[in-house]
Amino acid sequence: MTLHASFQGCAGDFAYDIALAAEHELLVLYGHSGAGKTMALRSIAGLARPDSGTIEIGGRTVFDSAAGIDQPPQQRRTGYVVQEVALFPHLSVERNVLIGVEGSTEARARWGRLRDALHLGGLDNRRPHELSGGQQQRVALARALVRPVDVLLLDEPFSALDDALRADLRTELKRLQREFAVPVVFVTHDLREAHLLADSVAVIDDGRILQLAPRDEVFRRPGARRVAELTGVRNLFAATASGDRVTVEGLELRLPANGLSGPVDLGIRSERCNLRRFDPDEPPPPNCFVGRLVEDLAFGNTHTLRFEPDGVGPRIEVEVAARPYEVLDVPSRNRWVIELPPDDLLVMPQS
Amino acid sequence: MTARGRNWWVIPPVLFGLFFLLPLVGLAWFAITDGDVAAELGSSTTWDALRLSLLTATFTLVLAVVLGTPLAYLLAASEAGWARLTATLLDLPLVLPPVVSGIALLTVFGRRGYLGDPLAEAGVTLSFTTAAVVLAQLFVAAPYYVRAAYAGFSAMDPRFEGVAYTLGLSRWRTFRSVTLPLVWPALAGGAVLCWARALGELGATLLFAGSLPGRTQTMPLAILSAFESNAGLAGAVSIAVILVGFALVLMVLLHRLSTPGGAYR
Repeated sequence: MTLHASFQGCAGDFAYDIALAAEHELLVLYGHSGAGKTMALRSIAGLARPDSGTIEIGGRTVFDSAAGIDQPPQQRRTGYVVQEVALFPHLSVERNVLIGVEGSTEARARWGRLRDALHLGGLDNRRPHELSGGQQQRVALARALVRPVDVLLLDEPFSALDDALRADLRTELKRLQREFAVPVVFVTHDLREAHLLADSVAVIDDGRILQLAPRDEVFRRPGARRVAELTGVRNLFAATASGDRVTVEGLELRLPANGLSGPVDLGIRSERCNLRRFDPDEPPPPNCFVGRLVEDLAFGNTHTLRFEPDGVGPRIEVEVAARPYEVLDVPSRNRWVIELPPDDLLVMPQS
Repeated sequence: MTARGRNWWVIPPVLFGLFFLLPLVGLAWFAITDGDVAAELGSSTTWDALRLSLLTATFTLVLAVVLGTPLAYLLAASEAGWARLTATLLDLPLVLPPVVSGIALLTVFGRRGYLGDPLAEAGVTLSFTTAAVVLAQLFVAAPYYVRAAYAGFSAMDPRFEGVAYTLGLSRWRTFRSVTLPLVWPALAGGAVLCWARALGELGATLLFAGSLPGRTQTMPLAILSAFESNAGLAGAVSIAVILVGFALVLMVLLHRLSTPGGAYR
């Protein structure tokens, strides 16, 4: 099964231009609220109508503005799960799941399997308000999968659940996704959730997909400054590249060859910066500069440290785990050597 | 003084309750002492009026539901300016004096109204017929239902319907199995209001349909006519007591029907 979608439109004065593709995988659609994530899902499901473009689900064209194709949601074979209105409140669990497929023995057999896989035994006659939040989401998942679907669309399905429940449901979702071999588009604004679930990530901002790539590539090689910002890169600078060198605030750094030259955006995650003791008699090693500690925020298991450059180099934020923080005895000194390892430098064409 | 102090605040609600209760008691008492309920119960005019009232109010309700439900749904689903304007206009009959509503109906559907001649050519005469009674009641009472239904549909999260569509449910099936049960309390409440308003309708009916016993004379009109006749207050009160009795029984029944154990509690 595959999903290919490329469509454009307006909702009020919000313009969007979405391009998505997914194979048998879990694609996380990641972005802030208001970025257009829900609009994208609704368009794929057939609940919103783009002005132009094409949407192909499992090899079937369900929307093609040029050819005048616009299948109604009933025919698109999508499973759609929304957090807040997960279940029909007036129907029992079983009637919620089997609504629309009552007569089908095949669907009943699938419901049997899903009931076991999602630990929903013995709840058939309960009403949604008698279930826990986690159970409600499991029922909603079962309902979305009880008919053969070609894509599963999940709109922040776990956002109202506590962390432990979310972890369980994520595991179950991954297992179901493998078992049913169906592409999943999972919408979230939670970076950790995106990290945990995604095979690939589409970063969406202001109605546009900024980058769609395998998860590690998006996090390790953001394609643009905005992607880096959205995926939690706290250190971002304007810099000048030439060959395997890049200069930021007078500091020359080595980095792997990347084919970029001239003005670039340079980034590094705060947890990727290394801290070393400062020795006034030794010149700083390559990719290092001296900084003065100006702020120390304790988060329990990590510390976020802010440094002002002492000479050349940028202002920088460094995240240090509690243990090395104590071993180095960070509060005892003001000046530190900050290392920016070449492989952890993110270089992006300037936007 | 008790530990919690005196509950002075209960005095206004009790007075307010008495304000409603005392006139009803007065009505009943007057009917027993000065009126002749038995005679009115034996009068065919009263029975005709009662039958006509129940018949027309119920028919009005059916029309309001059949025509008003799709309208309310349409208005709630649309975000267009005309929809909001229409929803506002629906309130107008609620604030118009019923007499004005009756005149308004006459100007269009009356024999000398704008549609009078075309209707007459088509062989339809509305004024002073039972149909006119229903039209008058519909004009005055249906907005109560449509308003309630509109509020109900507007309050429902449209995503319920969206999810139902993706589950393969047709629009009609979704409306029947998902939307309707979810907005049922609002619709039922509106229906009771609409029916009750239709039952009590006087002004518009009097102007548009007249007060012909057996054809257009509903209970309120029968009471008015008794009041204006030789029987005077005593006659009016006797019929009024019968109307109040029937209305009470039917309202209780309707309330029962409209909340079948709560919609989904």
